[in-house]
Amino acid sequence: MSTNRVAVVEAALDAWLAAAPPGGAGLEPDQALEPGGALSARKALELFEDQVASRALDVAARELKRTNRSFYTIGSAGHENNAVVGALLRLDDPCFLHYRSGAFMQARSRHLAGATPVWDTLLSLCASSEDPITGGRHKVWGSRAMWVPPQTSTIASHLPKASGLATSIALARRLGVDSGLPADAIVCCSFGDASANHAAALAGINAARYAKRKGAPTPILFLCEDNGIGISVETPRDWIRANFSSQPHLAYFRAEGELDQVFESVKHAIDHCRTQRAPVFLHLETVRLWGHAGSDVETTYHSLEEIAAIEARDPLLRNAKRLVETGAADAATLAAIVADTRQRVLAAAEEASRRPHLETREAVMAPLAPCDEPATRRDAENSLPAEARAKFWAGALPEAVKTPTKRTLAAHINSALADEMSRRPEMLLFGEDVAKKGGVYGVTMGLQKRFGVARVFDSLLDETSILGLAQGAAHIGFLPVPEIQYLAYLHNALDQLRGEACSLSFFSNRQFQNPMVVRIQGLAYQKGFGGHFHNDNSVGALRDIPGLVLAVPARGDDGARMLRGALGMAKTNGRVVCFLEPIALYHEKDLYEDGDNRWTSDYPPPGSALLPGEVGVYHPEHRDLLIVSYANGLRLSLRAARILQEKYGLRARVIDLRWLAPLPLEAVREHAAQCGGVLVVDECRASGGGIADAIVADLAEGGYLRRMRSVRAADSYVPLGAATAAVLVQEAQIVAAAKEFQA
Amino acid sequence: MSRAALFCPGRGSYTERSLRSLPEAHPFVERANELRAEYGLVSLSELDRAERFSPSQHLLPANVSALIYLVSMLDAQTAQAEHEIVCAGGNSLGWYTALAVGGALSFDDGFRLVQEMSVLQQELAKTGGQILFPLVGDDWTLQPGMVESVRSALATSNGQAFPSIDLGGSLALAGSDEGIAHLLRSLMPVKRGSIIYPLRLVQHGPYHTPLVAEVQRRARESLARLEFRPPRVTLIDGRGNRFTPWSCDVDALAEYTLGAQIVEPFSFHKSVLVALHEHAPDRIVLPGPGNTLGGVCGQILALDGWRGIHTKADFERLQASENPVVVSMRR
Repeated sequence: MSTNRVAVVEAALDAWLAAAPPGGAGLEPDQALEPGGALSARKALELFEDQVASRALDVAARELKRTNRSFYTIGSAGHENNAVVGALLRLDDPCFLHYRSGAFMQARSRHLAGATPVWDTLLSLCASSEDPITGGRHKVWGSRAMWVPPQTSTIASHLPKASGLATSIALARRLGVDSGLPADAIVCCSFGDASANHAAALAGINAARYAKRKGAPTPILFLCEDNGIGISVETPRDWIRANFSSQPHLAYFRAEGELDQVFESVKHAIDHCRTQRAPVFLHLETVRLWGHAGSDVETTYHSLEEIAAIEARDPLLRNAKRLVETGAADAATLAAIVADTRQRVLAAAEEASRRPHLETREAVMAPLAPCDEPATRRDAENSLPAEARAKFWAGALPEAVKTPTKRTLAAHINSALADEMSRRPEMLLFGEDVAKKGGVYGVTMGLQKRFGVARVFDSLLDETSILGLAQGAAHIGFLPVPEIQYLAYLHNALDQLRGEACSLSFFSNRQFQNPMVVRIQGLAYQKGFGGHFHNDNSVGALRDIPGLVLAVPARGDDGARMLRGALGMAKTNGRVVCFLEPIALYHEKDLYEDGDNRWTSDYPPPGSALLPGEVGVYHPEHRDLLIVSYANGLRLSLRAARILQEKYGLRARVIDLRWLAPLPLEAVREHAAQCGGVLVVDECRASGGGIADAIVADLAEGGYLRRMRSVRAADSYVPLGAATAAVLVQEAQIVAAAKEFQA
Repeated sequence: MSRAALFCPGRGSYTERSLRSLPEAHPFVERANELRAEYGLVSLSELDRAERFSPSQHLLPANVSALIYLVSMLDAQTAQAEHEIVCAGGNSLGWYTALAVGGALSFDDGFRLVQEMSVLQQELAKTGGQILFPLVGDDWTLQPGMVESVRSALATSNGQAFPSIDLGGSLALAGSDEGIAHLLRSLMPVKRGSIIYPLRLVQHGPYHTPLVAEVQRRARESLARLEFRPPRVTLIDGRGNRFTPWSCDVDALAEYTLGAQIVEPFSFHKSVLVALHEHAPDRIVLPGPGNTLGGVCGQILALDGWRGIHTKADFERLQASENPVVVSMRR
């Protein structure tokens, strides 16, 4: 038995076509394959052409890989009946597609005049910089013109955002935000039977059902392409149907059998989704030919007999038989399609393999972290006209407030959110407990009352779904501000930022963006409250994400101005910004002594903003030592600086980094050069990817020859109660470390 | 046999040098002359054999269009014997020829389409016209500011000027008399070779614009009898859409030809790109008359970077090699 299964499958189709028995009486092009059916002979031939083209691209990918000219061989072979879905959806139905979507895209391309789906796929396979969707950065299925945002996901992590987009369509209409989509648009996202088990997939499906249960139109088509196996692991028989066919608020459709039967089922599923504005689970029967990818040796887990049995179910062969049997086409016609398509795809592959590639680091990274600083500043410092703003605040402007409890970080973030929402109709605010309760720390208090339930709302309790909704909404023009209730809760959903939201601009070459400001309540020092899950002090996971902006305010006035900068970064540049709010400082009023109110501030009226790179400087006249810190560490450093000056005559300058990604290294270098040494006070876990290593390394590599030290939290989880102090950075440690600079 | 994409030329391809293109006896020529007689028009052989080239006679739309069709059909027949034609298209009028070359229309119906459309254009598109304006320099690379100046000239035309044909390296713009005067005033004169642009095209109407809506209306009536059928080779239209022999929607093909194609911009550029990218032919074969599309195709190849061609010099180098991309059947 041959091990070249590509040749075997190709030959089986050719052999059948060459010796096909006479078929049914020839159908007219507009005649249905079965009387009363929806699939006409001509449409069936279009589908067959698309399926053959997809198959030929899979063959070409392997040929190009064999000669080191392409870099991706996960194919669509065996999944070609997804072309039916591609044909029946509209171009204004956004699609989030998994990696076996070749035939789907071929069919969808027919809706776009002048589309070149063969060429575009080949450019992507060859990672050519001319690939119209990623610009040579990945092999994906995507197209701006065809509303297919690129997905790199292999684990169905695109389902949450697809759900989020589906619920956002009606919301956009309700709020007058131009989504560019018609009222009856639906969203499609595809995935395999194996990844249907993934937490993110289940979260996405759950979020859609939950939204529908709450009364929100949620027109999403979950297209599960069931080939019965995930790499080498077989899906238990009937697992998908058993799991998804009887869930509340999820209509289940099964598409199987002959091409025309699949067509009917898919049509019903789409019609149901479109008219009912409700989640649909479309279970499409497929097979997987030629292993998981070119590199997957299927014989390590399947016998040749088993492989041959799978190949016998080749949808191309089955569809060819059906077309001939029904009289939709004769075998010679189908053979001509196959010959013409193979020839043109292989010829195009040769040409595509000669197209240019990305060559420099700058070229690769160009779409990763765009920033038009003047435009960002203009946007961030904009505000309502004075009269309109006074009316909005009913005369009680936040900058006029003198009560200390209204001059805190929490109060100023609240006011800044209100100011920004009043001038940005596309801004949404949501998360767990943010609306009715106003947040567990009161930061969003009163905002739902001001802006209504459509713009400020409580989400379901799942961070993956919260970030999915943010991405989906951002895809169609919203500026979402989701809240993650505690930093520790972010970690189970981190891939939604790392793998999805932050990668979108990069993998779409800036053609798709999902601007957002993710508010995260976090860091430690909550006076013994909560233990680890409410005091997480690890930001390494966020600092590790390419392109992500991480803002960490310490004081109220900074918080308001940084929030404006963060929203400006998102709105103007399409960036994803995390706004990490130190919980312990939310309501802090004092700096040195109880009742001194020196940690409160006047609310800075709109018109001023802080952007990445802009640090806070305390005691600029001091030069003995530079203390570099942020958040709780800043307050501790300022307290320590006073002790150092009063007790030891050591005059320390203190800077607040404010932005932990990108780090304001230029400002640090500048201040370090003016001071006798540098002490970094990093409240995050010592080896947890905090900022101390990066600051010290940058200075050292820049030739900074004066003394450097750092004080960091222990490499530990944060315990409950008084033991907290044992692992977190304390004022006394800062003083002790700084004293070493005295000599 | 090389795999070839075949593109038929449009108006402007028949010139003085095209005289005496027609063989004395050929079924196409004989049939064309018979059809001309049915229309009560002078025979094409007579026009072709004229002692002298007479612009008023030879460039009259009703004459020149039929001449172009006939020469293209003759050349295409030769090309089909020498190459494997994998797809076909044309520029403007050349689209009609391509329909017949590809077998979507019979020779007779193709002729009728060309003849009757040209008469309609001649009768109904008497005012207005077309101009040509380059986007590339003499080296065939895009010149900065040209696209913007066209955009601005169109935007300030008070709705009297329109994009007409995208040729890649240049654009045909069209408009009413007022629109053309505006374009000629607004576009900064530029010299390419020995020609100064914008260049007004003689005897051309405002084709592929809403100004010829009446032509479209009348064409739908009078040409409804044409029998469209699935082509023998894949056809690529002026939007870059492909019609294959197997799944061709003949109603859509007819609707496009007698509908959007007449009143909406035609992109020869797009149709060539789709041929290159979706069929990757060895050659682009250009039937006559003339060789108006030779440079046009060269510029499209250079703009695309096809086979490393980025400039006119690159193109000429490849053309001089053993493996040229463009095969022009006439000069």
